[in-house]
Amino acid sequence: MGGQYRSTRRGFLKTAGAAVAAPYVITSTALGQGAIPPASDRIVMAGIGIGNQGRSDQGAFLDRPDVQYVALSDVRQSVRDAAKARVDEHYQNQDCQTYNDYREVITRDDVDAVHVATPDHWHAIMVIEACRNGKDVYCQKPETRTLREGPLMIEAARRFARVVSGGSQRVLEDYRELVNKCWSGELGRIKWINVNVGPLSQLCNLPAEETPADIDWDMWLGPAPWAPYNAQRCSGNFATTGGSWRSYVDYSGGGMTDWGAHHFGGATFAIDVREQQPVEVEYIAEAQGAYLAFHYPNGVIIYHNKPQTENLAVEGDPGEQREAKPVPVYKGEGGIYGDFIHCVKTRERPFRDIELGVNTIAVSHLGTIAYNLKRSLKWDAAAQKFPGDEEANRYLDRARREPWVL
Amino acid sequence: MLDQALEALKTYDWGVDVAVLTPIEEAAVATHADPSARADLETKLAALLDDELSRDAKDYVCRKLMAIGTAASVAALAPLLANPESSHMARYALERIPAPEAGQALRDALAQVDGELKVGMIGSLAKRPADESLSALTPLVNDDDPAVAKAAITALGRLRTPEAAQALAQAKPADEQAQLAAIDARLACAESLLAAGKKTEAMALYKPLMAADQPKHVRLAATRGLLASSGKKVD
Repeated sequence: MGGQYRSTRRGFLKTAGAAVAAPYVITSTALGQGAIPPASDRIVMAGIGIGNQGRSDQGAFLDRPDVQYVALSDVRQSVRDAAKARVDEHYQNQDCQTYNDYREVITRDDVDAVHVATPDHWHAIMVIEACRNGKDVYCQKPETRTLREGPLMIEAARRFARVVSGGSQRVLEDYRELVNKCWSGELGRIKWINVNVGPLSQLCNLPAEETPADIDWDMWLGPAPWAPYNAQRCSGNFATTGGSWRSYVDYSGGGMTDWGAHHFGGATFAIDVREQQPVEVEYIAEAQGAYLAFHYPNGVIIYHNKPQTENLAVEGDPGEQREAKPVPVYKGEGGIYGDFIHCVKTRERPFRDIELGVNTIAVSHLGTIAYNLKRSLKWDAAAQKFPGDEEANRYLDRARREPWVL
Repeated sequence: MLDQALEALKTYDWGVDVAVLTPIEEAAVATHADPSARADLETKLAALLDDELSRDAKDYVCRKLMAIGTAASVAALAPLLANPESSHMARYALERIPAPEAGQALRDALAQVDGELKVGMIGSLAKRPADESLSALTPLVNDDDPAVAKAAITALGRLRTPEAAQALAQAKPADEQAQLAAIDARLACAESLLAAGKKTEAMALYKPLMAADQPKHVRLAATRGLLASSGKKVD
């Protein structure tokens, strides 16, 4: 393991002190100019996992004048090089530092916040370690790979008073109209909403290929079971039916979590159960296939793949009044990224606070377990257990490959 | 069909279509309400671990024993724990098997392995009942291997019992990340004590973390804990 550099704020000061005789020019960029805040007011950021979605996240943060992007980590050399080139071109310097090992990033004293866009099986470890090291975190969705990870991530965020945002921009931006309709009271009391999303991820048994020198394969696998390199196994493309890590059970929940983060996120927002988890997952077997009904404590139901029902179809009872409520929106400017940066500055909870992300993905995980076991499940959200169901409780978590622990 | 799938495991390796194992998948689910059939499936799967299976096939058997394994599988899984190629997937099964024999196998292996395998064993013991794991984890908090010490400290923080808090008091990690893990673990224990109404004990854990040499976010966490201990509402 090892990055090329280890730069710290203290280290910089030490170096600067030793070089005191050298001329020192304070640039207009450092002081701030026009809309650009001075360097001391910018949020110092770094990225972890910069391929595909991480590249998009990097671009969004890099474009912000109130962010100073200083470092990045990725297990692929080519990705690191390309991502560094983007940063250096943006700032017209060569300062962005790159690392193979994310721990070199989260232990830098000068970094305020990190964005994480690795495959899902890494999220919990990285988020928790980042919080432990005093960093705020923007974590791509799906935030968790197992049910057990969620409460641990929330705890770490709360314990160290960190701002931790999940990463589904669609929850607000795609479903705002639906949310407004539900929250305005127009539909009366909501009875149910339907989400069509999938598929579940599958076991990957792709053949071994020669491992390219470009990738640190052991680090890519991290806490997941060992498997030989295969380009499709670790491809970051957005497919969920094969040929990408999003399709395979050791790294992702498939479309059920990947798109579930968006659709279940929108559904739980629309029917105002973002702060809860279901109390029961009903497995309904019919001739044309099984579907699910997630029952919430207030009696509202989220269906999954209800036959002949459109995605995000919602039914209310106009006869029962629902008091109109103001709809939460992003804080700050610049969508979900701006919301996160605003909250890093103000210490408010972001729109996709980690707890809301965890609750959303819990729906996906609970549904996956019900489908896999082909039966209904009771869920005790407070205890995070399937009460009296020893078989289902085995799926709360999975053993991590050494040396990774959670 | 099931017998054919079990037979297919003997030649199963990377690149083979996973569909050949579908009957095993179906049997693992279908036997939920048929203890006899499930025990039979478990026996057959566990017996395969004695064969010259590929790593891939052994991994698959471990995945299924995670789902249906009982004390009856422990003897077949335990020998895999000391082998770097199979240790993780043996833990994958044993960690989730509720029988105390599974925890005993992990504790026995803990004494036999070093380095990363030991770290893995600790990570699995963290998810076993506290009364099973505490005595095995406690002596490791000052292990010469910083990774082992850090893992043991983290594990005790996950157990978060008063006894775990006492064990953590003995931890004197030199490594910076292990120190942060110890802080995190102590905070977890303090939160647990606080939730149980043991405010004095919780405050005793929070106060040392207020020291000026602690990182800012740690002092913040301790401040929040102390406020909560004194009955103040903390967001």
